Amino acid sequence: MEFLSLKASRFARAPIQILILAVLLSSVNPALADDTSSGYQLGHGYPLGDTGFALGGYASSHFEGLGKWPASLSISNLSLFVTWDNGGKLRFFSETEGENVLNAGGKRTLSATGANLHLERLYIDYLATDTLSVRIGKILTPVGQWNLIHVDPLVWTTTRPVATTNLFSDYATGVMLQGTVLVGERFLDYSVYSDYSSTLYPTINIDGRVFDNAQGLRLRYHVNDSLQLGLSYVDFALIDGSKIRNHLTGLDLAWSYRRFAVNGEFVYRNNAADVNQNAWQGYIQGVVPLTSSLYAVGRYEYFDWASNRDNRVVYKGLGQAEVLGIAYRPLPPLVFKLEYRTGNNNRELAPDGMFASCSVLF
Amino acid sequence: MRSLRTLIILVSTLTLLGFAAPNGAEESIAIVTQRTSDINNVSIETLKLVYLRKLLLDSNGTRWIPLNLPSAHELRQIFSFTLFKKRPDELEDYWNEQYFQGVTPPKVLASEEAILRFVAITPGAIGYVHQRNVDERVKVLKIMPISADN
Repeated sequence: MEFLSLKASRFARAPIQILILAVLLSSVNPALADDTSSGYQLGHGYPLGDTGFALGGYASSHFEGLGKWPASLSISNLSLFVTWDNGGKLRFFSETEGENVLNAGGKRTLSATGANLHLERLYIDYLATDTLSVRIGKILTPVGQWNLIHVDPLVWTTTRPVATTNLFSDYATGVMLQGTVLVGERFLDYSVYSDYSSTLYPTINIDGRVFDNAQGLRLRYHVNDSLQLGLSYVDFALIDGSKIRNHLTGLDLAWSYRRFAVNGEFVYRNNAADVNQNAWQGYIQGVVPLTSSLYAVGRYEYFDWASNRDNRVVYKGLGQAEVLGIAYRPLPPLVFKLEYRTGNNNRELAPDGMFASCSVLF
Repeated sequence: MRSLRTLIILVSTLTLLGFAAPNGAEESIAIVTQRTSDINNVSIETLKLVYLRKLLLDSNGTRWIPLNLPSAHELRQIFSFTLFKKRPDELEDYWNEQYFQGVTPPKVLASEEAILRFVAITPGAIGYVHQRNVDERVKVLKIMPISADN
């Protein structure tokens, strides 16, 4: 216990020393300090003087009421971002996340059981040319739109569409080449990546969603200021000992006009496995402003899925889910959401229930 | 009576001049960079990419340092609408998403004079000011007519 408190106090002092150093460094920085329109802005992080470092993160709290189960409330995520960019060709980003920090209700009383701290992302960018940068580290897998911005303050619903997470891993660890090029007068974002998760960031494979040896590509074309179309492809193995390759292709669209929005993603995965060889999943979601801060959100999802036990398929079929909810955004980085989800063949992947959340990007 | 008529003419003339001069000069935004820069012009598409922080290096490999005025500043509102057809607050969702990827918005300086001073001494810096405020400290890369929709 003493050891823990000693460790904790040392850990607590470290950020203070960093802050003092940052303040000293910023105080000796030249000129123009008075010209800077400084001031913290919610959702943009806190820059530590002119050191190039910035701290930020997000927090979210969830409420779930699932059918016959007692309702539960949790501080589900607390994340810390550290970014560094001093204006050179190297940049750094990391996200450390505390998950299920505090839970109440459900099957247990107030507790921190199930809380865990893990490295969500960590990467270094090298800006090679004006249209190419090289990213090395643990990244969000570039499949579709949702996975790349999946945190609560940035999406419209508390629940996540099955198609954005079920058929591929949320994360990859390896090397990615990326950039934006002009095609005529429009932009094309591209990323090409190669994953070596089992070597670089081995993790425990709980549900078969962890990549290994993946090679992928993502393109996003900005058709105009309101519409973007995306194409994703990835070929990967799973860390479950099998040699089976999976091939996943995805299409996505994002349209917005004033404060209306429509988003959709569709993925198809095939492999040579006995279970769920050919799986289609997708969703389409619409957002309509009701007042200056209140929005109505509706979503339809469908998903092929299979359940297996001892390598035998015990169920295979098509699930569907519909979500109807509202989101209140007094400020863009702060959002309160309430929604109801129902469907068919959805109990395993997207159960019926009432969901609510409060989240903030800071 | 004559002196009153003279006064009215004088006031009218000054008023007309007062309205005409700023209006004529405020019709354009000047995109400026350091005077010693090798870059001599910039396209609207490139400017968009620089200000969205999708294009981080110029053709010589120098980091672009895009500069903004405070979001409530009239010229910032005009620049944002002219370039993106969106007001600064309508771009907040974009910046929140970018921040989640580790990308921060352009640096904000308090005034046009601050932009001119910063650009004058900083390689790669790019900013915008009223055309009438441009002076010899900076190089003009582009003149953008202010959209009539503003």
